[in-house]
Amino acid sequence: MALSIDALKDKFKNPDAAELELIARYAMLPENPQRERAFDAFAETGLPHRRMEAWKWTDFRAALKQVEASRHDAEGAPLPTLDHPVIEFTPNGVTLPGVLPYGIKLHQREDAQALGGAEDVPLGAMTAALAGRVGGLDTLIIEVNEPTDTPLHIVTRGDKDETNFARVALIVRPGASIDLIESHLGGTGFSSFLIEIGMQDGGSVRRTILQRGGQDEAQAITAIVTLGEKSEYTQTALAFGAKVARLETRLTHQESGSLATLNGAYLAAKGYHIDFTSHVRHGAPSSVTRQVTKGAVLDGGKGVFQGKFFVPRTVGQHTDADMQHQALLLEDGAEVFAKPELEIYADDVECAHGNTSGALDPNQLFYMRQRGIPEAQARALLTEAFVAEALEEASESVREALREITQDWLLQVR
Amino acid sequence: MLKLENLSATVGEDDEAKTIIDGLSLGVPAGEVHAIMGPNGAGKSTLSYVLTGRDGYEVTGGDATLDGDDLLDMDPEDRAAKGLFLSFQYPVEIPGVPVMTFVRTAMNAQRKLRGEEEISAPDFIKKSREIGKQLNLTSEMLKRPLNVGFSGGEKKRLEIFQMMMLEPRFAILDETDSGLDIDALRTVADGVNALRSPERGMLVITHYQRLLDHIKPDKLHVLANGKVIKTGGPELALRLEEEGYDGVLGEAA
Repeated sequence: MALSIDALKDKFKNPDAAELELIARYAMLPENPQRERAFDAFAETGLPHRRMEAWKWTDFRAALKQVEASRHDAEGAPLPTLDHPVIEFTPNGVTLPGVLPYGIKLHQREDAQALGGAEDVPLGAMTAALAGRVGGLDTLIIEVNEPTDTPLHIVTRGDKDETNFARVALIVRPGASIDLIESHLGGTGFSSFLIEIGMQDGGSVRRTILQRGGQDEAQAITAIVTLGEKSEYTQTALAFGAKVARLETRLTHQESGSLATLNGAYLAAKGYHIDFTSHVRHGAPSSVTRQVTKGAVLDGGKGVFQGKFFVPRTVGQHTDADMQHQALLLEDGAEVFAKPELEIYADDVECAHGNTSGALDPNQLFYMRQRGIPEAQARALLTEAFVAEALEEASESVREALREITQDWLLQVR
Repeated sequence: MLKLENLSATVGEDDEAKTIIDGLSLGVPAGEVHAIMGPNGAGKSTLSYVLTGRDGYEVTGGDATLDGDDLLDMDPEDRAAKGLFLSFQYPVEIPGVPVMTFVRTAMNAQRKLRGEEEISAPDFIKKSREIGKQLNLTSEMLKRPLNVGFSGGEKKRLEIFQMMMLEPRFAILDETDSGLDIDALRTVADGVNALRSPERGMLVITHYQRLLDHIKPDKLHVLANGKVIKTGGPELALRLEEEGYDGVLGEAA
């Protein structure tokens, strides 16, 4: 063993059982300075917990007392892949597609890659430290050199396993485009997926995400996105949560004229916790951000929305940004925590945000029942219509599937 | 067909409860159209909500039956499946649900509650085109979310569209004339008249007489303080128009 566990433990403040297990796993991996830097960044905080401002509503440390096998198989099926290429990460390794669309190349890196901004994303840093496998893949690089229209799927899932950590870097060359579809289905006690997306000038990414997990699982999906000049990033996520689950997106408009759309819908049943957190930095003038997040939560479910737009004085002029979060509390006992933030120093900008939460409108319910639609069906139809707006920008190849998954959930819980 | 006997109802909860319908009796036989007129606050809209089962309206006495079945025991959706339809005074916006989807969902839900087969997609589309045409509703309008962004008159036409699609046994029209210009009024009245049949009854609630020029009622009931105080033929509407409620009510009292 190359690394001393005792020395590693000292980097943490009172590591708990789960952290000790993660330390032991890290110690098995070959020494590498990039991996070490990521590990050190993770060690600064350990598993994020409620005493950290950005994690006050989503406490991974409390949820993850131990790293234990999930009692569940993966939740449901991946979004329909049809005959499109699929990259699948399981606890046993990665499966790559035999044939790739013209314009896409995969590079398998066994060495860890540097992670910029690791200190801002503790679970991203943890993933960068632990995604490696002895003698196997650490980071999968997806290089997109041309405009492509065949969707590329990424699936992460386990089967009553302990952990599933995966790291992907997506590089989009000038003028190139990709339709990326991700299904993160749990089946592991602790799973974490880290993706860094670098978009060069005029690049375009449409990213569609389905997240599901078991009630005894912790799940993190972390994205770090950089937009080049006049590039376009469109993200749509449908998430059902887990014991604790967080979708975090940190996005930077690096050059002017870029457009980011960050949409999401969450549906949380009893015992599920789902957190959407995003940080958008308008680091270049004349960039546009549109964000719509919709949630519906049942008794015993918990939804969290934390969104921040940061517009520096020197470079953020002519920013145009809008953030909307709307939640439906479907029953008494449903919980939603929201913190929309605008931090703006530039003076010539258009920034807006809105945040609402409430119950279904009794006038609408009565109107529908008067037309013969039973109450449970009326509630499901209104809820489906409510979240639908947040799913409109999803990849066309799975938009209908997202709608059906939403409907199935609403039928089950009613 | 529709029979109300000594019906009483309150609005509001507990200490706040207020009697709005107070011993109301009337009957509408199959094949007839009756009108209800009355001053503001007489209980006209309350009656429509009591009959359709809206929350917050509590029946404190009397009976309401449709074809002999007790309406007051049923959930709103079961009353609808039984054939009771309300054209709302203020139609409700349903964002995200297109008109066509909504009406088809309602139609099939009613059929399911009655133990009938669903309507086929081609039959539904054919029917909706024909009825849409009669009401000057374009197929583009029928694809938009129900009542969202429609004018007051368009919303009322959409109510009549739903009524013609669902073919209820008994329809209550609550101030369907409000917000309509004269052309829209005629279009709506034509739609209502097209549904008149020996098997169907209707109750037309209105504040003004002008709707009754287009939808000629068989009988007219004057409602005041939660009860019917006068019943007559169409000529009663004209008298109301000339003498006002005060004149007619004064005579009744």
